[in-house]
This record gives sequence, structure tokens and C-alpha cells, in this order.
Amino acid sequence: MEMDRESGKSEQIVSQFRSKILHVILDSRVPSFHHHHQQQESFSLSRVRKTDKWFNLVLGHRPAALENLNFSLRNLLDPVIIDIILVQHGSSSSSVDNICTPSAAAAGFTETVIERWVVQYDCPRVVATPSGADTSGLYKKTYRKSIILLRSVYAQMRLLPAYRIFRQLSSLSQTYNFDLVYKVSSFCHPFTREEEHVMKEYSFVPVEALSGLLCVSVTYRTSLSDFNLEPLVSLPPKIITDYVGSPTTDPMRSFPSSEKGVRATSFPLIGVRPPSSAPLQRPHSWSSGFHRGFPFAQNQSLAGSPPAYSTSPMTYDVASPPSDMYGNRIQNPRLSTLQQVTARDEYQLSPPFSPSPSPSPPTYLSGANPLLSHHRSETAPVTIPRPITGRSSRYLSPNSSDTSRHSLPPLSPRSSKHYASSQESPSGIRSYRKIEALRAGESPSGLSNHYSVHKVVRDSKDDSGRFSGLLSSSGSPRIGFSRSSSRLSFQDDMDDCEFSCPFDVDDVDVSDSLNQTSQNVEGKKASEFTAQAVPVGKKSQDAAVGILVQMLRTAPPLRQDPSCYSTHSIRTEYEGGIGTASGFFMPRKTADALEELKSYREMKDLLVSKSGTQVVRKEEM
Amino acid sequence: MNCEACQLKELEVEHFEISEVLRCILHTIVFLRALGLVQPKDVDLELFEITYVQCGVVEVEKKIDEKIEHFISWVEKHPNKKSQICLSFYEVKSKQPSWFTNKTERLYWEQWYVNLNVTQRPKPYSGKSHHTKMVVDPGESASEERSSRRAMLEASLGEVLSQIIKFVNEKKDHVPPISEGVIYFPYEITIPSSPDSAFGMDMIKRMLQTGHPTMLS
Repeated sequence: MEMDRESGKSEQIVSQFRSKILHVILDSRVPSFHHHHQQQESFSLSRVRKTDKWFNLVLGHRPAALENLNFSLRNLLDPVIIDIILVQHGSSSSSVDNICTPSAAAAGFTETVIERWVVQYDCPRVVATPSGADTSGLYKKTYRKSIILLRSVYAQMRLLPAYRIFRQLSSLSQTYNFDLVYKVSSFCHPFTREEEHVMKEYSFVPVEALSGLLCVSVTYRTSLSDFNLEPLVSLPPKIITDYVGSPTTDPMRSFPSSEKGVRATSFPLIGVRPPSSAPLQRPHSWSSGFHRGFPFAQNQSLAGSPPAYSTSPMTYDVASPPSDMYGNRIQNPRLSTLQQVTARDEYQLSPPFSPSPSPSPPTYLSGANPLLSHHRSETAPVTIPRPITGRSSRYLSPNSSDTSRHSLPPLSPRSSKHYASSQESPSGIRSYRKIEALRAGESPSGLSNHYSVHKVVRDSKDDSGRFSGLLSSSGSPRIGFSRSSSRLSFQDDMDDCEFSCPFDVDDVDVSDSLNQTSQNVEGKKASEFTAQAVPVGKKSQDAAVGILVQMLRTAPPLRQDPSCYSTHSIRTEYEGGIGTASGFFMPRKTADALEELKSYREMKDLLVSKSGTQVVRKEEM
Repeated sequence: MNCEACQLKELEVEHFEISEVLRCILHTIVFLRALGLVQPKDVDLELFEITYVQCGVVEVEKKIDEKIEHFISWVEKHPNKKSQICLSFYEVKSKQPSWFTNKTERLYWEQWYVNLNVTQRPKPYSGKSHHTKMVVDPGESASEERSSRRAMLEASLGEVLSQIIKFVNEKKDHVPPISEGVIYFPYEITIPSSPDSAFGMDMIKRMLQTGHPTMLS
């Protein structure tokens, strides 16, 4: 009994260690995972997450993609192999030992594994069963040593060459011709002789556990000077505050109707698509693009609670098998004494988060320009998966020089904290989003992209693991790179944030809105969507009035025409319909405003009709 | 319990580099031995392209900064000398008070010796002697040598950090358990406060406090 308890605790420690070290490594190598400590919440013991308490190392929010990885690699006997891959645009690298997949080569990208971390629980077949006295408290030592090992890994990561380029990519001030992506798998291709020649291996001292040794090693390139890693000169994103234009501007001209135009303007994409049938090397292989945006139920309590590291009567205990949000439990025969070790249900996951081969291509979009690839990972551009409610007026709002009025609701603290880089330039991002929102709202393709985004959200919400299917259904290029440091990339970061953590239980508004919108896309609640998207009746009137007021405030001065102009008359006119004779005597300002409103309505109708919903126009101008 | 000791590789630093180098080394050691709940804090050195990790505890930062200031003051009074800063981790044990010892004793279980050779401003082409005065050639040669020296120091500092991590990894068995709620083990930083003989007296005092000789590897 005692042995079982010891064994269970020991395995739990190993399991949690694997999760934690994965977090440490990806947080220190992949810009999209990285926390900006300045943006983190102040450290407070009372508010420390359970995951942070493990090994007494507070790393902050664990992305959903990481949770999925942990779940997928739950077999403790499988090694966790994390490849940090340098993706370089063009074949500018002079290194001869690059891994250049055919697709990557075709697209002009070079991929090189610059670091390989291997975390392995080495259990020999024949384990000398220690006596009860020897094993008592052995897990405490294992835990203590694991803490030390984790800290060593954390510190060592900052000394390796890859850290410098990670910091470069995390920088906001520059964009580069390279990117860092990761690949997590339980297998790996051995390095070639040429690669081994330029790489060095460092092995941390293993930590003894009850049933084996917990081993961590890293093989890394000693120098990255061979790679032509250069910053790119890029123009800063230009915020057009009066994008909508003045009342005198032709509104139709401001909004390109072609999908191509939208894309080119907002998130330029590389036309090269990765091969859709790129062979999956092995099962249990995931890459950065694969996992990004794959949401997972938040606040999934990890197995058990971390042991209290003390000599006092242990508060540490292996918790009762935790249940996930669906109340299911893992039945792992191997870890029968530790259902709580990786207590996750299947969540109706289909491949690739199952042993069967994934239908989706692995790794990264080799054809994507790293500079631009970060703009969109899996979804189409112009992705603002926000509820249409209250948005339509924004979309139609003309002459908006006030970006804050069109800014999106702020992200949840958790999600925004994770992508702190985006937080560092909130105004820029909001303005940028505003542009995209307007474009999305006013171009048919933009709206379709919008819907496709919602579909993405919905699908990902289902945890379908139809991740690849998700990608293909959205019709967007599979850009799987982690971010480079373009300013535009942080748009994507925020979008990804919404996809990866949209169901944050702390962020009820976001998740609820996403749920609402996604359901609307499915057409299950078309009427509801209609009601939200097309506020017929009173809402539209108020919105229209609001628009008019805004236009009047911001419109350039016209010739003085004191004749019977007032808000009241406008409202009266609005309600009365255009057919009334009094409309003929309306002042020029109001008429222009009404005309523009009409044009916006027409556009809105067009967009809505394209989405397949019926727009009921209650009023006619 | 054995007291493990680690002699770190000697670093040749200039006066203005002392603070950064020491801060980097001492914080790294404390972080690696702060086994309580910490939120690591990455700090970039200004003079070198090195990032080290702090445990994020304000008290630790203050204590280390204070000791570094004292050390710099000492260096100013004793220029061109090799010096050693000792970072020791200990446990507090109560014991019977006697004439020579206090009621509590410190049981040192780990000691780190940071060896610094503080030099004057670099003399181009001199290489060895600190006392020779040569005419410094202005221009590229001076700056080249300076940057070369800086690069060497950066590489050496990286080696020292690697040495620390290696030692921490290899020696784990002697680390005592940490109590609940405690973030880091009690530690002290010993700097040379006066001529070498006094430094030796500090060592003797420590020996009396611990009750057994300090073991040096």
C-alpha cells in the first residue's frame, strides 16, 4: 500500500515535471508563448495557480496549446522531444546541414533544428524494488531534486545561443527574416553527422525517482553566426484614424469589395500554400502552428495538488482523481494508482490528439514568409470574433476618427497577459483592429472571413482535434509559424489568444460572445444573429441617430443654413420616411448624412445577405 | 552534513564591471538555491549580452546590492588586488550557549567562492603588469583591445554561470529540505572588509560558530 502510494506520487511528480519543463522551454524559445514579466500580475501567494505551485516556479498562465500537448504526451515512458527550429526566409543560410523539407525548399524557407530538448523518464525493465523503509519519503527527495533540476534548466536556457535570437524575435522594435518554431514529439530523427559536428550536448544530472531516472538533456548549436539573421526594414503600420472618411467621401470607395483586396491590405498572405498532403512523419508529433489556437478548457485542474515542500507533516497528498469539466475521468491502466496524474478525459478528441495518425499536415507552413506568416496562423485575416451585437453600428459608423469608439473590448486579463507584447502597444492594436473590423463589416469577403473565423472558433471550441480540418475549412493558409517580431504579428497574437484561451472561465464575456457568434454562424440561431446583427426597429433607429449625431459632430462646416435644422427634425424625418415632402426641405448636412446612412445600410444589407441571413429592413429612407 | 564548496573560476574585471558581474553571479546562485515558491525574473546585463535569473525577492536584491556596495568600497581602498567573495548557505541550529559560542549556531552546508581580480583600466599592449605606464595609442587599437577584453570577460562570465549550474546539478544530496512558506535558505555574503588577515579571522569565527571545521574542496 505504501509502495503504491509512493509509486503514485513519484509518477505524479514525473508527469508534472514534464508539463512544467515543456512550459519552461517553450516560454523561453517561442515568442508567442513568452510572457513579458512586466505585464504579469503582481506575484501574490494567494493568487498563485495550481500549475505554478508545482516545483515552486511561477511561470504564469499556461497556454491551452500546452495543456493539449501535456495531455497528448501523457505516457510517461514516451520521451518528450522538443525541437526548436529556426525558420529562415530564403536560402540565405550558409549552413550546409539545414533540414530543408521539399515543401520548405520550394517555398524558399530553410529550417534548422538549433536545439533539441529531450525529457525522458528512464525506467529500466528490472527495477530493484527498494524496501519500505528506503522508499518512505523518497518522493520528497525526488521532488526537491526536481525543483533544483527545473531551476537549472531555466537558468541554462538563458545561456544557450538560441536565447539571443528568441529575445530578438520577442523585441517589438524590429522584424526579422527568421522565426522560431517548435515541434514536440515523442520521436525524432537523429541528427546527421554534419549536424552533430556543429552541435553540442549537455545533459543534466538525472533525478532519481522510485521507478527510474528523470533525465533532461539538450543538444544545441554552439553558434548561430552561420545564419544570416537580419532585421528587416519595415514600415510601421499606419493607422488611418479617419479611414471611414468624411461625409463627402464616397463610402464605397473606402471599402474594397474584393477579398483579395481585403487580404492584401490587412493581412497580406503569402500565396504559397503548403502541400496539403505533407506526410506526417510519425504519430505524436505536433508543432507550433499545429497547436496554436487549439483551445482547451480552462482551469482544468491538474492532477492532484503540488506537494508542499517541507519537512513538516506533509500537506502534500495525491488528490482524488480530479474530474474535468465534463466529469469524466481518465482510466489509464498504466497509471492505475494515479488516475489523477494526468487526469484528463478524451474531451471527444480525435486525432491528432490520439495515437492514430493525424490527418493534418504537421509542423509549420514552410511556404509562409516568416515576416508575414505571423499575421495569421490558422485563420483567415480580418478575424475579430466578436459579437455582432453592437458591432454593426460600429462597422457602419462613418467618419470615425475616434479610434476608441471602434476599439474592441479589451481582452481578458489572462489572455492579454499571456500575449503581453500586444499589450505593449494597445492603442496601435486597437486602431488596427478597428480598420479590420470596418473592412470585415463592409466587404462581403470580409464578412465571410469573419464567419469563417467564427467557424474556426466554434470548431476549436469543440476540441475536435479536427484541427487540420479546421484549418482547411477556414480556407486559410496553414501558417504554423510562431511569431516573429513584426508589429503586425501581435494582431495575430491577440487573435490567437482569443482562439487559444477563449473559454477562459475568468473571461465570461469573451467566451460568451464567442459562443454566441459561433452559433450564429452555424445558422442554428439565425434569427438571433439577425437580431443582433441587424438591429431592426428601435435599435437601428438609435444607432442611426447615433451615427447621424456623430457625423454631424465631425462633419466639416458647410454653408450656413439656419433653416429648420435640429436633431429633432432629423429624428422625425428618419421615422417619417423619405417619402415625405418635408425631406425635400432638409438641410444639406442632414441630407448628406442620411444619404451616407443609406449607403451604409445598403452595404450592410449586402453583407448580411451574403451571409445567408435575411435582413429585414423595417424602414426605408 | 557535509559542507560542499565551489571555487568559481577567477574573473578579471575592471572597477566599473564589478557590480554587474557580482550581481549576476550572486543572484544566479541564490535563485538556484531558492527552492521556495518564486517567480523568476530575467535580468539583462548592460555590459554583456548575458541574461541571468533572479528569484524576484526584494530582500535578496537589497542584501546583494548592499554587499556589492561594500565590496566596491573595499576595492577602492585596496586597488589591484585579488579578492574573494563568499556566499554561504547555512542552517540555524540551537545549541547550548557557552563562552565562545552563541545559543544558535550556523551550520553551513554550502559555500561559493567568487574570485575576482580587479584591475585598473586596461593598458594596450601591456598585457600583464598593472604598474607599467604606457602611452595609450588612441584610435582603433585601444578600442579593439577593450572590446576584445570585454568579449573575453563575457565568455568567462558565461563559463562561471555554467559552472554554477553544473555544480548545482551535481550536488543535490546535501541540500536540506526547505520549510513551508520559506522561499530561500538563509545565507550570508562575506566580503573582505580589511586586510587579508582579518578575512582569515572571519573564517575562524565561522568555524567557531559552526563547531566544526569548514571543509574546502
